Amino acid sequence: MKAAWALAKREIASFFVSPVIYVVVVVWLLWSGFGFYLLAKHYATNGGFGGSDTPLSMFFGQTIFFYVPLLVLVPVITMKLLAEEKKSGTLEALSTAPVTETSIVLGKYVAAMACWVALWFPTTFYAWITSRYGDVDWGAVGASYLGVMGMGAYYMAIGLLMSAIAPNQIVAAVLTFLALGILFAVGLGQFVFDDIAREVAEYISVWAHMESFARGVVDSRYLVYDASVAALALFLAVRVLAARRLS
Amino acid sequence: MIQVEQLTKRYVGTTVVDGVSFSLEEGEIVGFLGPNGAGKSTTLRMITGFVAPTAGGVLVGGQDALAHPLEARRQIGYMPEGVPLYPEMRVREYLSHRAELKGVGRGDRGKEVDRVLERAGVTDARDRIIRQLSKGYRQRVGLADALLGDPPILILDEPTSGLDPNQIRQVRGLIRDLAGSKTVLVSTHILPEVEATCGRVIIIHRGKKVGEGDPKTLLSQATQAAATGPGKGSAPETIMLRGPGSTDAFVRVLENVPDVVGVESKASDQNEALVQVYARGGDRTVDAMFAALVKAGLSLRELRRTAASLEDVFTQLTKEDVAAASPEETASEPEEEGKSEDGS
Repeated sequence: MKAAWALAKREIASFFVSPVIYVVVVVWLLWSGFGFYLLAKHYATNGGFGGSDTPLSMFFGQTIFFYVPLLVLVPVITMKLLAEEKKSGTLEALSTAPVTETSIVLGKYVAAMACWVALWFPTTFYAWITSRYGDVDWGAVGASYLGVMGMGAYYMAIGLLMSAIAPNQIVAAVLTFLALGILFAVGLGQFVFDDIAREVAEYISVWAHMESFARGVVDSRYLVYDASVAALALFLAVRVLAARRLS
Repeated sequence: MIQVEQLTKRYVGTTVVDGVSFSLEEGEIVGFLGPNGAGKSTTLRMITGFVAPTAGGVLVGGQDALAHPLEARRQIGYMPEGVPLYPEMRVREYLSHRAELKGVGRGDRGKEVDRVLERAGVTDARDRIIRQLSKGYRQRVGLADALLGDPPILILDEPTSGLDPNQIRQVRGLIRDLAGSKTVLVSTHILPEVEATCGRVIIIHRGKKVGEGDPKTLLSQATQAAATGPGKGSAPETIMLRGPGSTDAFVRVLENVPDVVGVESKASDQNEALVQVYARGGDRTVDAMFAALVKAGLSLRELRRTAASLEDVFTQLTKEDVAAASPEETASEPEEEGKSEDGS
């Protein structure tokens, strides 16, 4: 585990010396900031969409603004994690050091989650702005961020798995985009299907997931889902790394 | 320290390493020699655990490296071919990170990094970013990395490739200094390297071990074969002679010595003769040449025999292997053949 921490530190440092993460954060903040601006403006001029939603709960749970860039930005964050080590050959130095595959995967995962936090931390500013001009349900905001972390937990794990499978960063990004896109599309089934199919879609849907958290409802089913998908993806990433020795 | 038993690596359609066995005693420096594509790197990767063997086993420090990979890796400092490094890091940062991975405690890390920087001769580059380093510096940073944590075994894959002659001398010196204190396995396709540094040589060709021994024995065998052996590899030995007198006199005398195949005059200076002799028969013929010159009243200032180099040993061993290979085998490995030819 010490090795995992050493790897996470190096990986985080390498994230922040590469321009990619800054581009990702800037794009995300422009996008989400614009989305939040539109919502706030709409609430200010029209008094909302009716119902109990607030600009913040809309922001976290309801808008298409929220999801589209993430499907693109997450692959950009995770693509290099293992694929770059494979491509540049540093994986050889890494995996001949006294380090287990589990440590490698965990170290990379911690670094990816740190990026995810870095991506979201500036958005707390939106809540702060809202609180200056109106009431903010801080419990709901907290729940929203818990939902965001749960979502990140499995998004990052899937990205890491794809980076373990892919021979290079581009393929890793494409695979991650496809995997997240498929999960997202299946989730959209909540608006299409009925009965059991609808329930399954809802369970997978990141939309339903965030809608619930944004209202301040911490639904443990979703947290279980996040944790199990993340654990499965990480386990598979470890197996993929171990299997690479055989090829 | 290292024992390799019938190590084999097969990929679909090709056998890259085929039943290679050897062992290294503690404190030995062994050269692992072969043309590009012979299976050197794959063998080293199997020892270090980067690649799992299809069959066979590896013992590192008496322990099964496949069953206890971490214990084995802890004893090995490995410098992979091409020296992969993280380009965005500074040398000191990189080595400190590697030291942490290798379990060097926080308190000792700075000192350990300084020690290996010094040892590998890269102290002056400690604060530079790896991306901006020359190939030679990168190579030595890789070497410093291998030395981190003072492991008893060093495995170096082509440690001098890309270095200039001074740097090569330096690295060879470093490797020689390690003799006795560390067990070193150095792979190379450059023959003088092995002659310069290694106590023992293992020659591998097309995934098979084709020769093993100390360089001197291999050399004298080759010289013998070159000098006496009929058929394959029996090219005559080349001997340079320089002495006072006319070249013509030298040529006349030497031409009549038995087993001398040819004599060439190399200089037309009237005061000093320079001739090149092609002769079979080894020492016996050289003795006869000397006796003939003395009898003719000529003296010598220089006699230089071009001793067989490891290159000759190598050529011989790999040639025989090709001849021995069955046609099917040769046909099934076209890529290997191409690779080995451009490298030797």
